Amino acid sequence: MRTVLLASLRTHTRRYVAAALAVAIGVAFVVTTGILSSATKDGMVSSVGVPYENADLVVSGLDGDQAAAVVERARERGDHASVLGWSLLPLAEDGRRVSDRVEVGALADGEALRWQELRDGTFPGQAGEAVADVNAAKSLGLEVGDRLQVGTGARAADVTLVGLVDTPSASVAADLYLPWDAVAPIARTLYVDSIAYDVAGPADPQVRPLERFSGATVQAADQFVVDRQAEITKDVDIVAIVLLVFATIALFVAVLVIANTFSILFAQRARDFALLRCVGATRRQVLRSVRIEGLVLGLVAAATGVLAGTGTGHLLVAVARDRFDEGTIGEPSPSAGWYLGGLLLGVVATVAASWFPTRRVVAVGPLEALQPAGAVDPRTPAGVVRLAAGVLVLVAGVAALVLAMADHEVPPMLAGGAATFTGVLLLGPVLVPPLVRLAGLVSGRLLGSPGRLAAANAVRNPRRTAATTASLLVGVTLTTAVLTGMATSRTAVDDEMDQSHPVDLTLTSTGAELPATLLDDVLATDGVRAAAALPGTTARVSGIGEVQLLAADRAAVDDVVHGEPAIVVPGPDQVLVPWDSLGAGQAGGDQVRVTVDGTARTLTLRGGDGWGSAAVVAPETLTALTGGAATGTRSVWVQAEDGADPEDLGGDLDALGAPAGAELANGLGERAWVYLQLDVLTASVVALLGIAVVIALIGIGNTLGLSVLERGREHALLRALGLTRRQLRSLLGAEAVLLSVTATLLGTALGIAYAWVGVRTMVEPAVEAATLQLPVPQLVVVVLVAAVAGLLACVLPARRAARTAPAAGLALE
Amino acid sequence: MLETLHDPSSSPTGGPRLAATARGLTRTYGRGDNAVHALRGVDLDLPAGRFTAVMGASGSGKSTLMHCLAGLDQPTYGTVTVAGTELQSLDDTRLTVFRREHLGFVFQSFNLLPMLTARQNVLLPLELAGRRLDGETRERFDRVVAVLGLADRLDHRPGELSGGQQQRVAIARALVTRPALVFADEPTGNLDSRSSAEVLGFLRRSVRELGQTVVMVTHELEAASYADDVVVISDGRVRAHLVGPTPDAVLAALRGQEIGA
Repeated sequence: MRTVLLASLRTHTRRYVAAALAVAIGVAFVVTTGILSSATKDGMVSSVGVPYENADLVVSGLDGDQAAAVVERARERGDHASVLGWSLLPLAEDGRRVSDRVEVGALADGEALRWQELRDGTFPGQAGEAVADVNAAKSLGLEVGDRLQVGTGARAADVTLVGLVDTPSASVAADLYLPWDAVAPIARTLYVDSIAYDVAGPADPQVRPLERFSGATVQAADQFVVDRQAEITKDVDIVAIVLLVFATIALFVAVLVIANTFSILFAQRARDFALLRCVGATRRQVLRSVRIEGLVLGLVAAATGVLAGTGTGHLLVAVARDRFDEGTIGEPSPSAGWYLGGLLLGVVATVAASWFPTRRVVAVGPLEALQPAGAVDPRTPAGVVRLAAGVLVLVAGVAALVLAMADHEVPPMLAGGAATFTGVLLLGPVLVPPLVRLAGLVSGRLLGSPGRLAAANAVRNPRRTAATTASLLVGVTLTTAVLTGMATSRTAVDDEMDQSHPVDLTLTSTGAELPATLLDDVLATDGVRAAAALPGTTARVSGIGEVQLLAADRAAVDDVVHGEPAIVVPGPDQVLVPWDSLGAGQAGGDQVRVTVDGTARTLTLRGGDGWGSAAVVAPETLTALTGGAATGTRSVWVQAEDGADPEDLGGDLDALGAPAGAELANGLGERAWVYLQLDVLTASVVALLGIAVVIALIGIGNTLGLSVLERGREHALLRALGLTRRQLRSLLGAEAVLLSVTATLLGTALGIAYAWVGVRTMVEPAVEAATLQLPVPQLVVVVLVAAVAGLLACVLPARRAARTAPAAGLALE
Repeated sequence: MLETLHDPSSSPTGGPRLAATARGLTRTYGRGDNAVHALRGVDLDLPAGRFTAVMGASGSGKSTLMHCLAGLDQPTYGTVTVAGTELQSLDDTRLTVFRREHLGFVFQSFNLLPMLTARQNVLLPLELAGRRLDGETRERFDRVVAVLGLADRLDHRPGELSGGQQQRVAIARALVTRPALVFADEPTGNLDSRSSAEVLGFLRRSVRELGQTVVMVTHELEAASYADDVVVISDGRVRAHLVGPTPDAVLAALRGQEIGA
């Protein structure tokens, strides 16, 4: 049997290429994941300890105010404390806005706790000096010697960039580092990761007092680093597992492709097998031969995948190392398990996929070799058992989904989703052909007889049709579900954004009245939909200090506020203050005194966000405080047009406001940033699913290619009867597009249904009025991409088919 | 009822060694009104060392007879004994092993595995049986190849051979295991007259020079004229078993059957 096996492998290699490619991509995915996760672990884990190298203790789990207190205490005791954290602040250079959000961190006082490595210039020697991270400086366009303004408004700090540093630890890295004294005033806005604490004397006796003082966790530095390393390892592992889920999806699709390839190839080789049986091969011999064929294919494909994955992984690591700090990505050193696992997965997937098709091989009796050519019918009608199982699984799945929606439980949703999808795949042979026929009506109308023939060809073997479309169905269903789910949760995010960023942009005075012409100038700016001028004055608020006090008139701001205006319109006894301006110990509901030129009122403090750094009161409150004196414009609130670029609009308004001493708050930019995160997330998921879709399209091309070989005689007959070469090509093109578009439409329908179930189950409990949002343009793109890809998939098979001369084809045995 | 020259159930040569016997062979496809009676109780003895042609019109049951004799099809009733073994007593695996050890096949078309060379095709039954290419089998191989004139074609694939050459490779494959019986199913059906004559000549030589027993199913009188004996089948029954007949005698037997039918 060895001669037969080797000869079969040699002869059929070309027909296995597509299937092998499908497996190889899946395996490469796994290996790449392994390399990336090992490199990330190496980079992050090994560098975690750097900032704590010379520290005795680490304080963690505290906010900016607490951190400031700890640093104060350390100074009093002669200890050293370095706050590791950052605040997101706008950055300007010579009045030009460089970025809306730069990570600003603190530099340790003493050399010992200073973990950044100087690359250029010097460390800050005095207040008003700063250093920037080398990579951040590159991307922001900063150089040593630049004069920078960090933050806006009253607490803006002017600094000179005196040096560039490397930040060898990613978890607490920032873009710009200021001495602690420059950071202390904005300590409240800091996100504090931890404090590295260096005790002057013995450290152990200090643990308890420091704990009591800070109310936070105090650990020995070594212990903290070990814990943190474990945490990061776990986080990276979670990301790796998520990636592996996508790899599994890709491999599942690959299994569908290979199983289909084997089915088709074995159907075509039925006569070979029958002849072998005639000349004395036992069932076992034939079965073993084809199984070994599957095994060899699996081994070759998996090995190719491992090589490709290794290459891709190292390439990605090299690119990432070039672009990020060395603290993020280290040396890739995946354990042998990743390679072995990838190899094993590929082999197991291939062998598993070949199992059922090979079982059908031995059903071929020796007599079939004696039938005249062409009598072996490759039709494989769907079995009753399969259909019954399909209905059963589908019904059970739907029940689970209904249960999930009623109880808002995720596990039954996942189980129900998997079950219903399995049901659909099992019912494919009776479900897909009618859909293809339906779509065929359109193709018949468009292309005439080639279109009708294409539809007939596409459904000629229901099981093959179903298997071919199934692979694409997986990818499209998931993609649609993700896109629809994301679009829907986006509306929920919209509501939240309206709460936290009620006004797109504000230009607020920093002390003087704004020119009366500013409103008109703003209104004339591109991208501004509406603007309102708010009167106000300078006031003092107890516990906070001097602020700009604005009066928000409901009617005036209604036009520029997203959502409910009450968010930014306080009651007559209230004063609205930005959360991050609240003084130490202050909270919403406190009574505060607001004083304007000696006139004072006691008002209830309300925290809020999204209109800059000013305080807001009701118009009548302002009138009472100013004694009815005329108040000029102190702020202009702007609503942007849909689709306005936040950076451009912010820059334009900043240029208008700067001469008048107005500071810009860019809520639109914040909003855009959040949406960008959502878009990046969606795009990543779609890109990861895209790998499964690519495999499926390889599968479609493969099925067509193999069918073309099978139909050589028919094509020749059609050509002999007068079908032009062009028509033959369009016949195959139409078949490919019919298959891919049917799979895509069915997948889109399923995906929307799953998204709906997902929203009912997961989003509804959190956001009441969550309604399903269909990202129609994106879904249309998915269908178009599938159609075009389907066309591409048939290019090679169609060329081969069209090359057959009418006579040559008829002579084919 | 048509006239028979011999009693079809008795051995025509008066008791030589028998390669195969069939008794009460009946094969029915389908059931009830749709039942097709391909064989209706055939008794037949095939003597060893002779070239027997089985003739009949299409649908007469001659192919079914051959399939049953070769163990490729199970008779509905009756028994087949080949080389002293009753085929009905074997399960699929043992039947397969029996086939590769005792029977050889030549078909009308699709005789060779397209991915194997001529040599590999010829050696395939030996390989399947796990037999080593020892001195004896090599000698046999060389002899068969020499008789069939294939020596310079051994490394070609079927696609590179003419129809006649392909059939000769198939014959070589059928002979290489020294089978008790070689079955040929319309071996010249796809060939031109020159190649046909060549292939039939080789089949006859294999009987004369190698001492093989060959049973050939054909509907061509010309082909049958190469055979020693002719069995005429019609309507699922053996109508005549002629020993060394003249073409006229065969023609008469076939005509008689037509008149009878």
